[in-house]
Amino acid sequence: MIPFVKICKLAAAITLALTVSTGAAEAPKRIDVKQFSKKVDDVVVPLPNEVFGALNKLGGVNWKEYVRSSKGSNFTERPRIALLLGTVIADGFIAVQAEDAPTVKDVGQRVLGLAKGIGVGNSITPHAKAITEAADKRNWNNVRQELDRTQNSVQQAMNEVHDEKLSQLVSLGGWLRGTEVLTAVVNKRFSEGGAELLHQPDLLGYFEDRLRAMPEFNLKLLQDIQAALGEVRPLIDVGENRITADSVKRINEITARIDDAILTKSP
Amino acid sequence: MYLFLKQTARFAAWLSIFAGSISVAVASVDDAQSFALQAAEPYVKEGFQVREDFWGGDLGSGEKKAVRQQLFKGNEYWFWLGTEVEKATISVHIYDTEGKLIEQPDSWQKSHFAAAHVIPPTTGSYFIIVSIESSPEERTHWALVYGFR
Repeated sequence: MIPFVKICKLAAAITLALTVSTGAAEAPKRIDVKQFSKKVDDVVVPLPNEVFGALNKLGGVNWKEYVRSSKGSNFTERPRIALLLGTVIADGFIAVQAEDAPTVKDVGQRVLGLAKGIGVGNSITPHAKAITEAADKRNWNNVRQELDRTQNSVQQAMNEVHDEKLSQLVSLGGWLRGTEVLTAVVNKRFSEGGAELLHQPDLLGYFEDRLRAMPEFNLKLLQDIQAALGEVRPLIDVGENRITADSVKRINEITARIDDAILTKSP
Repeated sequence: MYLFLKQTARFAAWLSIFAGSISVAVASVDDAQSFALQAAEPYVKEGFQVREDFWGGDLGSGEKKAVRQQLFKGNEYWFWLGTEVEKATISVHIYDTEGKLIEQPDSWQKSHFAAAHVIPPTTGSYFIIVSIESSPEERTHWALVYGFR
């Protein structure tokens, strides 16, 4: 016979378990999202490897083809350094996809140099070291995590000194390089699933808004990027329609042109 | 002696209240973030990469906040919400741009933690609705982190 106290304890445990698992108020199956539209926060910009991961699931990608070791020019303008920094971090994610340890280590050092150039080197030193160590051990998950931490630390350090706009340029540089590689991969072996990964109109709108709010950075490159995003918009903002192979090719040309301008010195 | 003990006890009590009020005052979104990350911890072993970036703020009891996020078809996502207010009840739910709930049934809510699991049916923007359902505090800090695999 089970003692009464034991039954009470068992009942209490079951009640607690039920409370934990069903304590949540049922979420409405449908809501009117328009009521939230004015309260929408800034987007968190996806990391390049977020889209690369989705791309990988569509079929094997030879990431080695997309690894880049070009270091880019040395700039003194902080907005240019910020854009390049984002691009180089994206290159780090590509090198991780390709499991290319020497390039990953180069990227770590390059990021450190650029971060110093922009005055936030101190926050990056431990991450650069961790990237090198993880690459030596071929621990790719740790490298990915450290690249994310690197970008986050750079951006936090910038935000702390009220350089939020430079921080946004880091994200933009990474997004442009990520989009260039995404379109290169999809262009090589077109699939509707691959092209669908380009369906990012809100993110594009976010970058367009941010660029418009940077009139103080009187750089031709930023004007060129703004114009380029304007060219990309009709190609990806297609509503219910599919993004075509021609659009993918065109976006690749646009982003490759911009990426080249980010890397090289121009008047 | 009794008087001394009584005064010491009063001083200690005052000190603890003072310290308590300081800890409440300095409680921040960072504290909420550490709870959100705590909720995410078990999922890292399942291969989820938890992003360093996060959303955060404070809300009154019964208030909601929407954040928008680009999700990619083919990936699987978890969003974890946390607050340092242990007696608060919070929730997070995910809707598509048409306002349709799209989270998986294993999404959960446990007191000052909540999580939503989503396998996006299409690539695009989604609404993540954060809510402080009840809280003893006037304003409750919250932080939302996410991971993908």
